[in-house]
Amino acid sequence: MKNKIRAGVPIKLVSAAVSVGLMVAGGQVLAQERVASINLMTTTESYDPIRYEAAFIIAERWRELGFEVNVQPTEFSTALERFYDQQDFDATILGWSGRTDRLDPQFFLSTLDSRQSNLGGNNPGGYENPEFDALFDQQSQAFDMDERQRIVQEMQELYKPDAPLVVLFHRDEVVAFNHDAFEGINPMAGEGLYSEWGPMEARPVGDRSILRIGGPQEPDNLNPLASTSVWGWKWMRLYYDRLVRLSADVEPLPWAAESVDQVDDNTVAVTLRQGMTFHDGEPVTAEDVAFTWNYYLDQDYSYFNSYLAALERAEQVDEHTVHFHLSEPSASFASISLSQIPILPKHLWEEIEDASTLSPSQIPTVGSGPFVHERFDRGEFMALSKFEEHFHADEIAADGVEFIIYADMEGVYTGLQTGQIDVTAWRMEPGQIGLAEGEDHLTVVNVPDFGYFHMTYNLRREPFDDRAVRRALTMATDRERMVNVLLDGRGEVGSSVIAPVNTFWHDPFVERFDFDMEAARAELEEAGYSWDDEGRLVR
Amino acid sequence: MSTRRSYLIRRVLHGLMALFIIATMLFFLFRLGLPDPTAALITEGLSPEERERIRASFGLDRPIWEQYFIYLANILQGDFGYSFHYRAPVADIIWERLGNTMVLMLPAILLAYAVGVPLGAWLSWRRGSRTDTTGIFVGLMFRSAPMFWTGMIAILVFGIALGWLPTSGMRTLPYEATGFFDKIFTLDFLHHLILPALVVALYYLGSPLLIMRNTMLEVYGEDFIEMARAKGLPERRILYAHAARNALLPVVTQLAVTVGLAAGGQVVVEVVFSWPGLGREILNSVRTSDFPLAQASFLVMAAFVVTLNLLVDILYTMLDPRVSFK
Repeated sequence: MKNKIRAGVPIKLVSAAVSVGLMVAGGQVLAQERVASINLMTTTESYDPIRYEAAFIIAERWRELGFEVNVQPTEFSTALERFYDQQDFDATILGWSGRTDRLDPQFFLSTLDSRQSNLGGNNPGGYENPEFDALFDQQSQAFDMDERQRIVQEMQELYKPDAPLVVLFHRDEVVAFNHDAFEGINPMAGEGLYSEWGPMEARPVGDRSILRIGGPQEPDNLNPLASTSVWGWKWMRLYYDRLVRLSADVEPLPWAAESVDQVDDNTVAVTLRQGMTFHDGEPVTAEDVAFTWNYYLDQDYSYFNSYLAALERAEQVDEHTVHFHLSEPSASFASISLSQIPILPKHLWEEIEDASTLSPSQIPTVGSGPFVHERFDRGEFMALSKFEEHFHADEIAADGVEFIIYADMEGVYTGLQTGQIDVTAWRMEPGQIGLAEGEDHLTVVNVPDFGYFHMTYNLRREPFDDRAVRRALTMATDRERMVNVLLDGRGEVGSSVIAPVNTFWHDPFVERFDFDMEAARAELEEAGYSWDDEGRLVR
Repeated sequence: MSTRRSYLIRRVLHGLMALFIIATMLFFLFRLGLPDPTAALITEGLSPEERERIRASFGLDRPIWEQYFIYLANILQGDFGYSFHYRAPVADIIWERLGNTMVLMLPAILLAYAVGVPLGAWLSWRRGSRTDTTGIFVGLMFRSAPMFWTGMIAILVFGIALGWLPTSGMRTLPYEATGFFDKIFTLDFLHHLILPALVVALYYLGSPLLIMRNTMLEVYGEDFIEMARAKGLPERRILYAHAARNALLPVVTQLAVTVGLAAGGQVVVEVVFSWPGLGREILNSVRTSDFPLAQASFLVMAAFVVTLNLLVDILYTMLDPRVSFK
């Protein structure tokens, strides 16, 4: 070690001497250094060919701009770990999926909140803007929708010129269904056809009255207090009721609730619909509702913690009324939280001390939803039957829902082609879309997504600590080409973390950063950068 | 007899030793090599504190040595633990999946050997002829053709174009089976088994075929064949009763190794035919960093290979008296 240190000294002296030499020769400060090279982390080609290719499209242009860029395809979980947990990256291409509850701007805006920039937080790039943070708090407590809309749009205008990340594109979810078997399903943004409404809307037009959905993903488990995957909840929400359900336009519709009222800033009152029963015949009461919410608080189920963050306690007031006491005013509680937490039967859960340790056969699968849980054969199949006693039963034409679990999309597509399934639960592979369009019995549906693929810069590192560099790199990112070539036109160039399809919250006036190499160069020049003989960027 | 017993005891001890080393390697390999099991939850929007709590509920907050000793102690008691992902006992998942894999792999391997061994013997008899060349070519072709390719061709032809056979899964759904044997002793199951089993069998066919053929050619040079010929025995009798019996040894070894590795399934076939086998499960468990499930799956596979190797060594001593206990 000692030797190394000693050896290092003369080298530094030499480089200092060279700098001095340059100063003398040019008669001005010319100690120019090349800009730090960039490692661009992306997914592997086998995990997602689109994000993989996108990285090369970006790298090509950035090199043209004078940066040294190294594309690093990384295994997905490892990439997540390096990005979020270690924040060990220069620039990373990842994405956020569009879950219905994320149509509320709260979550996506929080990814730019500086209080999320700690290790493991949702803002690994480390964007810090006190004004943005202050507005974030204001909007999350604003009950007046127009007021909240104004703040949310202001926030988008605020962060965008700083270019802490590039929203690359929103990828359409392209799904298909067999119109000879079922009709009437309305596609839903971020959900496709396998939304919570889909099975309720499906009308059989063929011989089979049970809707068959096929997909390559299955629930991790069907424990409403342990599942940590969206695929668990996509299925469970069909047999559990919620107080509110979000419409396809994300309007909160009273569901098991007859009405939802704001009593004061910190209290929400819910009046329960009357005459509901659980699948085992027991009535659904306000006691069950209050129990469920308090049970979720006590059991500390991580997956729902963000929905429960504002809740202090649920209290049964009378036979049909529950009061939710909040610790602070929350704009999203009445819309999002009430639409996510299921109603559990108290008589089956109250004795269970630690619900997360239940084995599959011990889990009570009794809900009060429009469908009744029948079975879940891991890796093969899931089934639900229609609940005839449900208040919505008259509107439901299908006699049940079956979900066939395939190993990959190839199997799902074959199932769709041969009539084994009616609907795909997940987006088709690009190669299958053309095939599906050629089949007479299939209808292909393009569903715009409000989830997004992003490239996030690490603002703690050179050269991304310089706003001008970020802006220039963003202008040199050809997103138009990604959508046209990689997505075959099925998608939209990103402009803001709040997608254009999310019309109410999206701000149409954000700075767009259209692809423009000239503007990128000008931006760099203005900030004092120049290019050396080899075309490399120096300052 | 005592040499035999001490030999067996020594072999069993060696096997257990090997399993212990494998179990240890698996434990550290997955913990050091795989990403954090809760990393995937980030995309679900979970905060670091929430993920830390989940990690603690998996016991991952304890020192790694403590985790290791708990793991060893549990294995000794036959307890493989709880799957992080499924929140279900690992043993339940593995036995079910292993059963599914075996009902596909065993018939397929047996078919390959039942056809491959006599065919190999026959080819050796016709060595140099066009039949021989064709046989070798076909065997090698299926051995080198990727299984996902043969599988997809089989699906395209028999599943989609002709519509004769189902293309995915083990049974026509919805189907209610009360137990494992209930599930597999049905015509419907056999119907589903045909395509994947054929694809696997065609792949395995090459080994017994070529090994049998080549060993037979060696055996033909032996003195006892000369002797049999001199006695005037019919050629067919020499081929099957004398030469083939002696050529079986390497085939038996190969069979045991093949069956041993079959426990891990053929992931490619399981994916192409959406067969709910152990191979797919192993792949998933590694992808989701489900340590308990991944450890146990690989350990079960290793136990299979070790046990079958032991059985082969014992079988050898019966098939060939020249092999002795050392």
